Amino acid sequence: MREHIQGAVQFVANNRLKFDRPVEPIPALPDPAETFGHVHKAVPQPPTQEVLAKLDTPEIKERCADLLSRYPVGQGALLEVLWLVQGVFGWVPTEGIRWAAKVCGCAPAHALGVATFYTMYNHAPKGKFLLQFCRNISCAIKGAQPLIKYVENKLGIKSGETTADGMFTILQVECLGSCGNGPMMLVNDDFATDVVDGQLKMKRGTTLTEASIDRIIDWCKAHVNDMPKHDVLGGTVKGHGGHPGAPGATAKPQVADYAPPSPVLNVKAEADENGATLTWKGAPEFTKLVVEKKNGSKWAAVGEPGVKDKAFVDASGKVGDVYRMIATSGERTAKPSKEATATQKPAPVEEAK
Amino acid sequence: MSNYYNMPKLPTENSPKVEIFVDDKAVMVPGDTNLLEALKAVGIETPHVCYHPFLPVSGNCRQCLVEQEGPRGRMLVIACYTPVAPGMKIYTPASSARVKNARKATQEFMLVNHPLDCPICDKAGECTLQENYMEAGQNESRMRPEYGKNYHGNPAHQFVDAKGQVRGGKHVDLGPRVLLDEERCVQCDRCVRFMRTIAGSEQLQLAGRADHTYITTFPGEKLDHEYDLCVTDVCPVGAMTAKYFRFQKRVWLLSHTPTVSMDDSLGANIWLDHADGRIYRVMPRCNPEVNRSWLSNTSRLAFQNFDKNRLPAMDVHTPAFGSGKVALVAGGTCTMEDLAAIRMLKDSLGDRAEIFGGSLLKVGTPDGIAMSGDPVANRAGMKLMGFADVADFMKRASEFETLVTVNADLFGEDPAASSVLEKINCRVALTPFDDATAKKATIAIGVRHWSEVQGTMVNSLNILQKLNACPVCPDEKLEPAFQVLSKFAGCKLQSAVEAFKKVGEYASALAGLTYDTIKSTGKLLEGGEA
Amino acid sequence: MAECVKVCTANFGKGAQDIEVYKKLGGYANISDRLFNMSQFEVIDYVQRSNLRGRGGAGFPTGMKWSFVPRNSGKPVYIVVNADEGEGGTFKDHFLMLEDPHRLIEGLIIAAWALGSRAAYIYCRGEFLPCIESLNKALNQAYAAGYLGENIMGTKFCFDIFVHRGAGAYICGEETALINSLEGQKGQPRLKPPFPAVSGAWKSPTCVNNVETIMALPWIFSHEPEEYAKMGTPRAGGTKVFCISGDVKNPGVYEAPLGTPMMTMINDYAGGVVGGNLKAVLPGGSSCAPLTAEECAVATMDYECLASMKTMFGSGAMIVINDTHNMAELLNVLGNFYSHESCGQCTPCREGTGLLHRILNQIVDGKGHDGDVELMQSLSGGFGGVTICPLSISLGGPTSSYTAKFRADFDELIAKNPEHAKPRVQENYRPGIFW
Repeated sequence: MREHIQGAVQFVANNRLKFDRPVEPIPALPDPAETFGHVHKAVPQPPTQEVLAKLDTPEIKERCADLLSRYPVGQGALLEVLWLVQGVFGWVPTEGIRWAAKVCGCAPAHALGVATFYTMYNHAPKGKFLLQFCRNISCAIKGAQPLIKYVENKLGIKSGETTADGMFTILQVECLGSCGNGPMMLVNDDFATDVVDGQLKMKRGTTLTEASIDRIIDWCKAHVNDMPKHDVLGGTVKGHGGHPGAPGATAKPQVADYAPPSPVLNVKAEADENGATLTWKGAPEFTKLVVEKKNGSKWAAVGEPGVKDKAFVDASGKVGDVYRMIATSGERTAKPSKEATATQKPAPVEEAK
Repeated sequence: MSNYYNMPKLPTENSPKVEIFVDDKAVMVPGDTNLLEALKAVGIETPHVCYHPFLPVSGNCRQCLVEQEGPRGRMLVIACYTPVAPGMKIYTPASSARVKNARKATQEFMLVNHPLDCPICDKAGECTLQENYMEAGQNESRMRPEYGKNYHGNPAHQFVDAKGQVRGGKHVDLGPRVLLDEERCVQCDRCVRFMRTIAGSEQLQLAGRADHTYITTFPGEKLDHEYDLCVTDVCPVGAMTAKYFRFQKRVWLLSHTPTVSMDDSLGANIWLDHADGRIYRVMPRCNPEVNRSWLSNTSRLAFQNFDKNRLPAMDVHTPAFGSGKVALVAGGTCTMEDLAAIRMLKDSLGDRAEIFGGSLLKVGTPDGIAMSGDPVANRAGMKLMGFADVADFMKRASEFETLVTVNADLFGEDPAASSVLEKINCRVALTPFDDATAKKATIAIGVRHWSEVQGTMVNSLNILQKLNACPVCPDEKLEPAFQVLSKFAGCKLQSAVEAFKKVGEYASALAGLTYDTIKSTGKLLEGGEA
Repeated sequence: MAECVKVCTANFGKGAQDIEVYKKLGGYANISDRLFNMSQFEVIDYVQRSNLRGRGGAGFPTGMKWSFVPRNSGKPVYIVVNADEGEGGTFKDHFLMLEDPHRLIEGLIIAAWALGSRAAYIYCRGEFLPCIESLNKALNQAYAAGYLGENIMGTKFCFDIFVHRGAGAYICGEETALINSLEGQKGQPRLKPPFPAVSGAWKSPTCVNNVETIMALPWIFSHEPEEYAKMGTPRAGGTKVFCISGDVKNPGVYEAPLGTPMMTMINDYAGGVVGGNLKAVLPGGSSCAPLTAEECAVATMDYECLASMKTMFGSGAMIVINDTHNMAELLNVLGNFYSHESCGQCTPCREGTGLLHRILNQIVDGKGHDGDVELMQSLSGGFGGVTICPLSISLGGPTSSYTAKFRADFDELIAKNPEHAKPRVQENYRPGIFW
């Protein structure tokens, strides 16, 4: 019986009890993944303090300030800041995403959506050498799948897995933009079809073969301790002032009159018995147009067409007259257009019946 | 979805009418809105999933396709993102097989990875997919089990079921009030847009991409916001469900009473969904001027206490009001009819009675969604009816010998300040609940709660709104406050209609109005400031 | 094979990554008083006269695109270089940026002068880290030489270039998705209108151009525009950098005039088909319809001819396929690609590409049934023109054309299933314990 009814019964003689079913709290259902087993193992995340401590270095602060100065809104730097996180850890831990969101001034959930949308952010630790094989059409035509099978057998793992010693991870990825060298692979950030002079190289006309994969893997094993290190953002650029108005930027905005005002282009003059007709191509910023006619060695204004007009007729014009036009854009006067000599207007072609 | 999508423009009564051609027939539609709303205005329903009139248009469900005649021939466009232009030519499935097939194809794609679990889905009966399927569905399934489904879901929640199929997360605990079924999600991103644009707190996001997309909060964080239950309203499918309503009732067994929430002076328009004599849930009722489609958790979950701790009805004769001064104090949830009855009682008592209204609770600030922050719901109505503020009464409490409180829990709201009221000899409390004031009263009379009465209220936007009685009163002997009060005044009002006539007598702004002249979205009072 | 003027690839293999070498080869000659005395309008007119069309795939006239950008809206104008080259078979931008980054910078300065842009972003896909390194090195040199930054060469003109590293999403090659990605959002295409030229990055006018388009500008400006227009077809001027990959002897990047016959490209430039006879060519990247060997014999590589053959020129990426390959298996590769790269916005693309891929998997695994091909054709019909961007059609189009032109390949795989003639039945589809 409901508690308020219990109270009411004492006072009310003819109480109609309407609620026969008590409201019960809904018991928590077991997580089906706990019952049946997870498909994916949960990735152990490093402690928050450790993540923040690793990201709290002067170099990273400097890089972040530089990145934030490039975009009018801090969120623009989100992809790059996530790259910095990946550069530190080799993958993006959850706390790293939260840190990146804070740096860029956006919601952590937004940063999570971005970090999971793009496939190059790793959400679990990868091997020291990330071997990414292209499986797209050009490479597939040239036999990418047998090669991937070969590597999988050689390393004893499947695509997406890491070897037990943490050395290699194989990934199948989409087009790597080197179809001419297909089949193609990336070793971490380097395109590689072979080892030349002790270095990974992608030479024109060479493709990946079983033999060259053997050489590349041997090279990787030999270079565990002196792996070629790339800056995740391909190095820094010195000298830019950033985006005008962005935090930390010193750049000034573009002035409106950095370029000379537009002259009138494509002036053509055609004359017939009604006078000379001028046509031209007008720029949208014109505020005034003046047509001038050559009179001996001097120029005399003959009219002012409207800025939206398409043609101007000088009634006294005849074949051989020389015209030019001068445009004004706001307060700036452009240089005169090229001189146009009036030609005979072709007679209108009558339509053949 | 881009952050830059704009809110749809909705037609109003003042929209200019333009002529467009729908299926080669000329129709006049509102000219300042999108095609979907314009077609709706002339009675052509367009199925849609992601479009919501009060959320930015993201146009990702591709269900509302129509054909438009353009310079390059007839093109399929989405009705929700196409602005109405005079003279445009539109073809709907009524005349265009291409539109019909395109909608059918989209509907089929939408169901490819959607579980077929309507019998146990809470949304069944009010599910957008079900509705669309009846119109545009592929009647015979072409999908075969061998093709498999790729259920959407967070990798961390995925499991392999008894049949060997990888399944998405079920009843994922998204927050204190909302559960998520990842498989049922159709990625319309309405909840994401709601949380970002309306609630202003981007707690939800679609993670991943392609058919691995899934809705999630940031790992380790919970969806927790004053308006988070609205995501269960905007969810077109059964992905987001409210914990309080989950598995409580099939929706087609519910009856709906349109009324107004009296928790707040904005007077959010609500539906009281009830069955077998109790309220099961409260849903926002669309009112573009007041609360749009939103409702705060406070207002939504308040119903759980409506039938608890109630006072029984008491058949009392008119109490002896003595010979001293009488204070009549109306609480925030008094309807206009209650206020009119208090005026009647004052008139019958003569000059020694004074009327006050309000509450001792603090007034907050409007949140711009569905709360004005003022706990006195009918404050504007009290102004119209000439009620003084309750603060005046508290200052001069010692002058009075009798105190009548109507729905006003003064002792509960501010126990310290109210202690002076105990010196008043006769304290009559009319209240639905056995609250602190009822406990301290010399006579406590039970009345009906605002959800159980018919009446009107004036909200903070000066809109007169109608309350309807939901048949959930626990005791049929309980009467509305205005009936009890008018009986004290010696002239018992028999119905709310009669009481509303009295309202017109006291408040000139409402003179001449009847219940029929008040629309379901209320009536804006002109110059109603008393 | 006539010797063709090299517009974009002239400096290949000459070490032009270094600014001194590049200047010796005639680089940065355009950044001079000649440019600084031209008005914005004159530069755009110059490009229009050259008949340059966008090299990213859609082939929109570049000058016209620039003329759409409002120049007095009070907002900054952005130039975004689309270097998110991810279409299967396309790899020209990779080598263009790697070999000749300064040409891109020089072209960008010209474009910025025309558009009044203060800042340009080069959106380079994440896999191209060597390109980004090469570009950043070149940018450092250009800043040091005074070609970038404030008051370039003593004028009032200021211009900065930033390289933005993407992170692996094919769809970011679509211009509005690219802008979203630049803004730090998910790379999902936006609804149009508004078009980027009016409201793009950060709601400002934005001009998105392909790498090759920008890199053609220095040559055009050091010559007469008509000279460039003359090299191509009447409706599209100039040369094109073709990428030839697949079963040819010398796959690679070749610059040739537009309108070159397809067989000339394959036989003379790429050394002919190897490993078998010519079966099909994808003339414009992985998303276009294939041409059979007979059609290849008459096709020329330009926008109009290929459009008339119901395929497209795209980015000029020819993928040559010999007759040892089964087209159904290749379509399965594409299904994998497009279902993986769908951004997840529009329903037909999000769910449909994955479904097509799963059906194709059945066929390739030898579990196909009669009727599967018809189902695929019917499903791909549901993609047509209903989504925000054309990614779904990039799979739907090939599905229709592969099944129409190479139906025998599909039937051959389906015949491997001994029970292929039996219709698929809806078996007792009992749901699991947890619905």
